[in-house]
Amino acid sequence: MRTRDTNKEEIVKQKAIEMLVKLGIEGFGMNRLAKESGVSVATLYIYYADKEDLIKKIGIEIGQTFFNEMIQHFSPTMPFKEGLRKQWENRARFTIENPLSVACWELLSHSSYRESILEKSIIDFKTVMSTFLNNAIEKKELVCMPKEVFWSIAYGPLYTLLRFHNEGKNMAGTPFKLTKEATDEAFELVIKALTP
Amino acid sequence: MKNHLENILVFATNIKTENDKQKITNTLNKHSEIKQWNVDQEDIDCVLRIVTNTLSEEHIIHLIKQHDFDCAALD
Repeated sequence: MRTRDTNKEEIVKQKAIEMLVKLGIEGFGMNRLAKESGVSVATLYIYYADKEDLIKKIGIEIGQTFFNEMIQHFSPTMPFKEGLRKQWENRARFTIENPLSVACWELLSHSSYRESILEKSIIDFKTVMSTFLNNAIEKKELVCMPKEVFWSIAYGPLYTLLRFHNEGKNMAGTPFKLTKEATDEAFELVIKALTP
Repeated sequence: MKNHLENILVFATNIKTENDKQKITNTLNKHSEIKQWNVDQEDIDCVLRIVTNTLSEEHIIHLIKQHDFDCAALD
């Protein structure tokens, strides 16, 4: 009977993420992945049925890890400002510590794999976040607005700063590193915009 | 840590097109000892993957060759 080596499987996953980011979905292939991870093609097919199965599984796993990180030390009953601050911290930490996973997630969530990946990975997270926002509106800690408007104001500034940080430079090409001061300043402005 | 899996057999084939796949679909679908199968036609080896607890590699190779396709076990 063939057996499964979880160490090897981790290597395969890491390599697959790297290759997807570097080559895109079209350029990514099982044969090349096998070669680069030092496993045989047969072994790869023991783990995954095909390329589609592999991409889906990897996407779902990144999604689940991401959303588990998002709810660390977070509760939907928190006061709005404290909860959003926690979301900022969690999102910033994950983005800075896992740039490859985040890049891969971006790629997959803008591809035809989007539905199958999101469906399986964010159901619980969606519930937690909508409870949090509904609580905040009820407690009059948050202005009622369409969710797209909320999302872009609440997280748009953070993700822009994180992009500058990851690229190491701002929109004008000047060196940039995200500091606590800059984060706090942006956060306070976001709170000003979102609270009644 | 190692955990046991169902027996999965993988083969390099020349089942390249949807039309080719149709030719083996009936045989594989109807086979009571094959729990699951697929061909990765995006792969250069057109890898055929079979989940079975009882059948041998030789048996599958024989089955596929009957349909005039190449089929070799992947190591």
